[in-house]
Amino acid sequence: MIHRFVSVMAGLACLVAATGRADAHPHVWVTMTEELLYAADGSVTAVRHAWTFDDMFSAFATQGLEQKTKGTFTREELAPLAKVNVESLKDYAYFTYAKVDGKRRKDAFLDPIDYYLDYDPKETVLTLHFTLPFKTPVKAKALEIEVYDPEFFIDFGFAEKDPVRLVSAPAQCTAAVEKPHDDNFPITLRLDQAFQTSEANIGMGANFANRIAVKCP
Amino acid sequence: MPVRIGARVRLTRYLALAAVILVLLLAAGALDSAFAQAGPLGAIRPPPAEGVTGWLLAKQALFYRALSGLIRAAKTDGSAYWGLMGISFVYGIFHAAGPGHGKAVISSYLLANEETWRRGIALSFASALLQALTAVLLVAIAAVLIGATAKMMGDTVRVIELVSYTLIVLLGARLLWVKGRGFLHTLHRVRSGPEAAAAAAADHAHHVHAAQPDCHRHDHAHHDHADHAHGHQHDADEEEDVLPWGHAHGPEPEELAGPGGWRRGLSAIVAVGVRPCSGAIIVLVFALAQGLFLAGIASTFVMGLGTAITVATIATLAVAAKAIAKRFAVARAGYGSLMLRGVEVGAALAVMMFGVLMLTGTMASERMGMF
Repeated sequence: MIHRFVSVMAGLACLVAATGRADAHPHVWVTMTEELLYAADGSVTAVRHAWTFDDMFSAFATQGLEQKTKGTFTREELAPLAKVNVESLKDYAYFTYAKVDGKRRKDAFLDPIDYYLDYDPKETVLTLHFTLPFKTPVKAKALEIEVYDPEFFIDFGFAEKDPVRLVSAPAQCTAAVEKPHDDNFPITLRLDQAFQTSEANIGMGANFANRIAVKCP
Repeated sequence: MPVRIGARVRLTRYLALAAVILVLLLAAGALDSAFAQAGPLGAIRPPPAEGVTGWLLAKQALFYRALSGLIRAAKTDGSAYWGLMGISFVYGIFHAAGPGHGKAVISSYLLANEETWRRGIALSFASALLQALTAVLLVAIAAVLIGATAKMMGDTVRVIELVSYTLIVLLGARLLWVKGRGFLHTLHRVRSGPEAAAAAAADHAHHVHAAQPDCHRHDHAHHDHADHAHGHQHDADEEEDVLPWGHAHGPEPEELAGPGGWRRGLSAIVAVGVRPCSGAIIVLVFALAQGLFLAGIASTFVMGLGTAITVATIATLAVAAKAIAKRFAVARAGYGSLMLRGVEVGAALAVMMFGVLMLTGTMASERMGMF
């Protein structure tokens, strides 16, 4: 009797505990194109991001902004929003993580420079451009840059075409891109165009982060 | 009742132990999910979302993304409305699995109180629909009337969230106060001997009334209501709370419609329902941008309906589980009562902890801000 009672109570506790779990699905999708900027001495000085948001979030983000021409926004009109974006991104460490020769480098980046937003009126999507300079330029055999949201509110994915470019890199440097593989998301279920370009790693969270691995032997 | 004293003592120990374990389990469950989310950026990676959770997330994301395509399609193709409503409904059902839709708070609230499954369902629907209403009102006022930006809306949601979490903490604290007293009271009875315990089970109503003069439910009908009016809302809850079971007349279905009936659950409904769902806000603003605000509103309410079904299902499970536990408890007179009260204290504690964790940002909730 008591044992049954206790097991019922344990079941109850588990029920409450289980329902208390907080797992949000992504609400924002980002398709990214990345550039690594090299100095003349072969060190990496900065990461230049170009993040294109999905149409729903782009509509949300541009809500209430002034526009001269309906249906589009100029870079100037978007400038205040871009400022808010990069300032807020600081709290999230720009979702950008660096590993130098296998070691995670914390607090690797300075505040962003050269940031702006673009609006594509045909696709009705926003693209945020910003450059993250390294505090100290990285000269290493192996550099890994990961981009992900640990809370998985934003689902980052590489662009289908040329997701990574090394700018003025030494000839022997090569970049490889690791995309998360997602069994939960067969291609046939992709319902709109944004899906196809975003390589959404739905259901995988940070465990299958998008990784750029640069090797300069 | 000819029961051996030794067995009684052992039983008490078991029950006390079980109560402690339960409270710990509840606490651990809440903390576990909190820590899983709390890794400092980049330092600790959260566990992989695989299995059921991963599947749920994938489905939610799939349906959520589908909404944008369907809203677009609805601009030119009227039949897409049906698809939009269908997907909104299914999305709502799945989405309630995510944080911030009150499953945990409502289930714990129901466990802490003596509630019927009908009330559980009513609470779930009311809070889910209030949540949809808040989202619609927020976007209607902020975006349509004022022309507010996304950032302003995000800031507003953050304020509403703080209010909601504070209300949840207060709700939990009040439950804990009332339930804790009830628990100690029963403990005292049980400790003072088997006879007293048996008496307590049969006779508790009078004692409790004597001990807590501001909770005399039975007298209400005979008293002049005027002198209760000021404190009635609080009392309404405590009357049920202090006498959670063994009560000659628990809340009958018809009581739900009565003035006290609704007010009793109102605090839980508001605490949970006042916070709008960030997904709904984004969908609404997108629909507005497409010139289909009404479709967005309909979609939001249909989503709320789906959410309500999931929350109501979980709430009903909680009520059913407690009913089973109660059946065991009733057979054990005073000790069973003690056990049940222990459960209620644990559930009350859980409500408060959910609030505290969300308020302190330890427990991840749906994020709204950032842009």
